[in-house]
Amino acid sequence: MSETEERSEKESFGTVLDVENLKKTYGTGDEALKGVSFEVGNGEFVSIVGPSGAGKSTLIRCINRLVEPDSGRVFLEGTDLTDLSKGKLTKIRRDIGMIFQEFNLVERLSVMENVLSGRLGYTSTLNSFLRRFSDEDVSFALETLDRVGLKEFADNRADELSGGQRQRVGIARAVVQKPRIILVDEPTSSLDPEISRNVMNLIEEVSEEDNMPVLINLHDVDLAKDYGERVLGLRDGQKIFDNKPDKFDETAMDKLYRGEADE
Amino acid sequence: MHKWEPKSKKEKYTQRALTFAAIALVFWSALAIDIQWSTMGGLSALGSVIASFFPPDISYVPSLLQPAWETFEMAVVGTLAAIVMAVPVALISAKNITPSITIAYPIGRAIIVVSRSVHEIIWALIFVAALGLGPFAGTLALGFRSIGFLGKLLAEEIEGIDEGQIEAMRACGANQAQIILFAVLPQIKPRIIGLTIYRWDINFRMSTVLGIVGAGGIGYEIQSAMQRFRYSQAASVILVILVLVAIGEVVSARLREQVT
Repeated sequence: MSETEERSEKESFGTVLDVENLKKTYGTGDEALKGVSFEVGNGEFVSIVGPSGAGKSTLIRCINRLVEPDSGRVFLEGTDLTDLSKGKLTKIRRDIGMIFQEFNLVERLSVMENVLSGRLGYTSTLNSFLRRFSDEDVSFALETLDRVGLKEFADNRADELSGGQRQRVGIARAVVQKPRIILVDEPTSSLDPEISRNVMNLIEEVSEEDNMPVLINLHDVDLAKDYGERVLGLRDGQKIFDNKPDKFDETAMDKLYRGEADE
Repeated sequence: MHKWEPKSKKEKYTQRALTFAAIALVFWSALAIDIQWSTMGGLSALGSVIASFFPPDISYVPSLLQPAWETFEMAVVGTLAAIVMAVPVALISAKNITPSITIAYPIGRAIIVVSRSVHEIIWALIFVAALGLGPFAGTLALGFRSIGFLGKLLAEEIEGIDEGQIEAMRACGANQAQIILFAVLPQIKPRIIGLTIYRWDINFRMSTVLGIVGAGGIGYEIQSAMQRFRYSQAASVILVILVLVAIGEVVSARLREQVT
């Protein structure tokens, strides 16, 4: 099929994200990550599954350093994120979109302002204060709102929208960053099953149309297998599965959710 | 059978002991203020003073309008100046977003403590001494006291905001100022407005007495009328203050309804 050909050609552009031996222990003594390594290729849609407390959320947040990893390296297109200064980190975060479980919209601002906030990294502090964004940013934000099907809601306050609509705004906010990769943390946990599928379809659409790599935490294994081109299984802070979704069978599932942790 | 008890015995006794202690405290403080019953004969003098307030000298009211307006202005300007100062103070005094917990945070907290622990009247005395008599001293006094009040309550509000919105702004590459503009201020905006109105209400009432120490406003009129034993004029001043405070109460209640 031409689509698969196209994808394999894109993948040949190489690795976008390279995570090496990432470790994180919280102050409470909780060893969230015990040395996790993997790569995400260009345009690749990678699902992360695993039981609660396996370290999925920590892993995602260590990549853009919302959580500071203890050791290990994270490369985004060859740039080591782990030893960047605070200022450089802020700059490079523009290249990493993020979508959250609780949407994390600024509830009291309009939908449009929420989408435009994805461009803050490219906007001066003064212009942010004046809520003034460049014409290109405004038209791109409107375009993106249209793409997620919320154009007519541009001037509504974010807290007036339903859960599914809010997550679409969250997706639009990540998209307008024009990032090199999008990190997604349990995007459907606050949504009912049908809306969840819609949201996943939209994320998949963005990934395919923009050739955007996506690294997504999902507690729902079915969603992870249906949408993921690759599935990572995380248990007790360790990666114990990394393969195509059709290889994620009953045995793998048992090992991930019920088996004894490898020591 | 298992019997459920709302409180353990220890808790019950502690609670009883505290109740007795509270009652004892009331009696003790009644004794401690050392009421001089013998001097209470002066009560009749109090009666005659009060009687001399009536009837209020209504013809005096028009000359009070200017000082009444001045009082209003002092409250408005003092409160607005205070909120402008209080927001940055609150931003450095909130544990979750302070730029530095070892330097900025203690500075912010110190500003709040100093501002709050000095009464308006004392602030007014200080500013009258430093800047001379007049409404400017009174306005500064109101402002300085209000910074602490507003700063403290706003800092508490900031500490309770949804951190997810901050996380989202941080994740997309916003700098600290942009995080404050887009994730912090929108969340505390209703509280900023509500507290400002509430503090204006307090300041309006307070500004009616600042004149007594020479810091401008209608309070000065009470002072001068009393000193000249013009009790019926003083009564008009009290009447005007009463009306002003009532208006202030209604206005602030209405405005606060709008924001919550």
